[in-house]
Amino acid sequence: MQRDKFFREIENVNHPNEKLVKTHCSYCGMQCGMNLRVNTITNKIVGVEPRYDWPVTVGKMCPKGVTAYQQTNHKDRILRPLIRDDKSLKGTKEGFREASWEEAYDLIAKNFKRLQDESGKDSLSVFSGVSMTNEKCYLTGKFARVAMGTRYIDYNGRFCMSSAAGGFLRSFGVDRGSTLPWTDIHETDCLFIAGSNTAECHPTSMFRVWAVQERGGYLIVADPRETPIARRADVHLDLRPGTDLALANGILHLLIKNGYTDEAFINKHTNGFDETKEIVKEFTPEFTSEITGVAVDKIERAAEIYGKAPNAIVMFARGIEQQHKGVDNVSAYTNMALVTGKIGRPKAGVATFTGQGNGQGGREHGQKSDLLPGYRKIYDKEAVEHVSGVWGINPEDMPQAGVSAYEMFELMTEKTIRGLYLLCSNPAVSAPNLNFVRNALKNLDFMVCSDFYLSESAEFADVILPSVTWSEDEGTVTNLEGRIIKINKAQEPLGESKPDWQIQVELAEKLGKGKHFSHLKTAKDVAEEFRLASKGGNADYYGATWDKIDEQDGVFWPCKDADDKGTPHMFLDKKFYHPDGKAKICALPYRPPAEEPCEDYPLRLTTGRVVYHYLSGNQTRRIKFLKDMCPDPYVEIHPKTAEKYNINHEEIVRLFTRRGESNYKVKITEAIREDTVFVPYHFGHEQSINLLTIAALDPISRMPEFKACAAQIEKLKSGKVL
Amino acid sequence: MTFTIREPKQTETETEERRRLYMELENCIGCRSCLAACTQCGGHEQKNRNYVYDVNPLVNRETMPLMCLHCVDPACARSCPAQAIQIHETGAVLSALVEKCIGCQNCTIACPYGIPKFDEEENLMYKCDLCIDRTKDNIPPMCASVCPTNTLQWLTESEIEVKQSKNDVGNDKWVTSMPYLEGETNVTVNLPGILQGTVKLF
Ligand code: SF4
Ligand code: SF4
Ligand code: SF4
Repeated sequence: MQRDKFFREIENVNHPNEKLVKTHCSYCGMQCGMNLRVNTITNKIVGVEPRYDWPVTVGKMCPKGVTAYQQTNHKDRILRPLIRDDKSLKGTKEGFREASWEEAYDLIAKNFKRLQDESGKDSLSVFSGVSMTNEKCYLTGKFARVAMGTRYIDYNGRFCMSSAAGGFLRSFGVDRGSTLPWTDIHETDCLFIAGSNTAECHPTSMFRVWAVQERGGYLIVADPRETPIARRADVHLDLRPGTDLALANGILHLLIKNGYTDEAFINKHTNGFDETKEIVKEFTPEFTSEITGVAVDKIERAAEIYGKAPNAIVMFARGIEQQHKGVDNVSAYTNMALVTGKIGRPKAGVATFTGQGNGQGGREHGQKSDLLPGYRKIYDKEAVEHVSGVWGINPEDMPQAGVSAYEMFELMTEKTIRGLYLLCSNPAVSAPNLNFVRNALKNLDFMVCSDFYLSESAEFADVILPSVTWSEDEGTVTNLEGRIIKINKAQEPLGESKPDWQIQVELAEKLGKGKHFSHLKTAKDVAEEFRLASKGGNADYYGATWDKIDEQDGVFWPCKDADDKGTPHMFLDKKFYHPDGKAKICALPYRPPAEEPCEDYPLRLTTGRVVYHYLSGNQTRRIKFLKDMCPDPYVEIHPKTAEKYNINHEEIVRLFTRRGESNYKVKITEAIREDTVFVPYHFGHEQSINLLTIAALDPISRMPEFKACAAQIEKLKSGKVL
Repeated sequence: MTFTIREPKQTETETEERRRLYMELENCIGCRSCLAACTQCGGHEQKNRNYVYDVNPLVNRETMPLMCLHCVDPACARSCPAQAIQIHETGAVLSALVEKCIGCQNCTIACPYGIPKFDEEENLMYKCDLCIDRTKDNIPPMCASVCPTNTLQWLTESEIEVKQSKNDVGNDKWVTSMPYLEGETNVTVNLPGILQGTVKLF
């Protein structure tokens, strides 16, 4: 299926006394195929071998993927439950003692009960993540609502994919991150990529991106920095952080003005064109240039190329989504495809680069505060009835919608939430405005953290439960294409560690809700229940059995039943998911970033990833190769700006905002705007750039504005060049 | 249009054309996956044998890999007084034989590209062996397998000829070996400029 010109039959090398286990990378949404090398005598994972037969990535991996196997038998693994009795040590690594699972479960059950007796059901909360299988994501939603009985569950996708989700839902009525498979990318004629440092964040997309240019197609990149992909772009739109909405409106203005619209498509398949046309009228190239800082001729050239391209794909990522108008940005760039009709056919469409391994699947099945499995809304009576049926509860007992990730920390601060079960996430590094967030964690009466390493967030826990790495469990994840794929188990769990689904089944028993969970004895059992729960929803996985996933090299949702092969291309029938079948062209007035530069804070601070690290770095900072390549954060500064501040390459400076400060080593580079500084966010404790970022939330997605705030640099007296 | 004519490789099997390492420097994004992958090759003992350089770090993000070019008449092997550096029948210039290498480091000085590395602890030289346990069976080397951008590719002679016909526009940006390099090599290098012959679609 979908074997393209990059696919070659290649035999793998199999070393003596080893077997290969086919699986996918543990990290980003690319979910590159890989084989884990397992020693058949020790039954331990010992290395990696490319998976040439995986059609999306044909053996390719970034350095994170190549070294991912080193997580499993790493010396930092937590092997037994840990309990800390001395609460004064919260926020440190100190004071933990090993305990049995029995003791840990009893302590958790006792404290959960105490808090709920004292302050009600909703005094407990769950904060989860989407770097885990669909089965775990699904069960976590059920565990929160059925076993813990709380409304407060949300997840780290709020810092990642929620704006893309909000934008797609508004524009298309459905949130599948890509309207087409990745195997289409190299065959399109124009890629318009906004706010994606693709070369570092989704490196294995790059051979397809370069292939577009090799065929004579065009690459347009919008980014405040000249990232490795922007360096080779035909047009680099080097905009000010936080001004995407103006840029998108400006391009739309030109597409309309210069006659690149598809009137027939607009009339038949969309709503909202006239209002939108009115709004973008004022976004002339000159006006757009004034707001964005991008030269007029570049804006004109980009619009012309996209307009003329027979096929084009608009792609974006956190650069446009992690803003307090992230949802508007997504809809605004999506407008480009809708007014030109470049969607709903092969080689043309819209896609977001999903950040986390299961950023797509994990947001669909009930970890979000207002969602139930199958992308159902928790306010929807029918949805609640369907899911309650699968879960064996009374629909009246289904908790209400909760609040978003960052807002949970606000409720912790005001003591509405007193207990937390944290899994698969490290908000003490990845959340914005960290001084506030870390205090919120410290103020909790009781906190459980499930992780396989002692993360910065685990340092706030009373109990730590040792979970497994991705290679010690099986299940499905949904990659950035919307393709459901299978993760396979290569090794037995190390020490006494357990997969999170099993922890939840056992803990449910202790919480007196065993009858809703005890039938789930394997990951496959969870998968079967989960398919049923998703059945009939927008994200319908019912037909995506594990066998079908194996046979077809993955299944694209929706996949409704046994005969349905899945849906690689969305909207081929030009039917969108709004009740009238039409897509929405959105009229979006411009709003500046929540915090604009001023005299005291004249610089724009933006944050992002480096190729060597994943998310909060809890995993990758422990891998020697990756740590050696990028051991510490740094601040990127343009040489002219550095000159103004009289600072040198590799000098340590103090960077600060209204919320926090930290010291960073300076990296001088011309590959950034003069008014902008950049710091990667993968680092903990006092190195976290999120001490400085702003928690201005998008009104729809509740996504914080990681990508733009106002900052200032101070030269240190002792800031010697190292 | 003229192609460089090469003698067919002796090891070419009937069923499968032999492949060679081919590099397009313009594609490199500096991810250093090739370095990570090199540690994974059987017999590499977790030590990588290749290099990636930031070309102009204070200015832009341009990077380029530096790989052993597997010279037909390798200076490293010629300079070795102990004849520790063997040439495989596929043309791969192997890492020094552990039992023969005397740690004199002549090879590291002799190589015009600075490829051989030296392990101070073991007092041994080590270098890229073109993942000989893979490439002897025509399986791509680890670095070219994983390279996310196709900077490093494992191509047949005819595929390389197609590349050359497209990219070699006579301005020294196509470097296959002489006269540009020290001598004839088994690895083909394409300097930045691969798009110069491309005709835009519209
Ligand atoms: S981190 Fe992403 S791009 Fe890198 S190997 Fe893993 S899935 Fe592939
Ligand atoms: S793996 Fe490829 S793209 Fe990455 S640094 Fe090496 S040559 Fe460059
Ligand atoms: S061919 Fe093999 S030994 Fe040589 S640099 Fe590549 S991975 Fe390393």
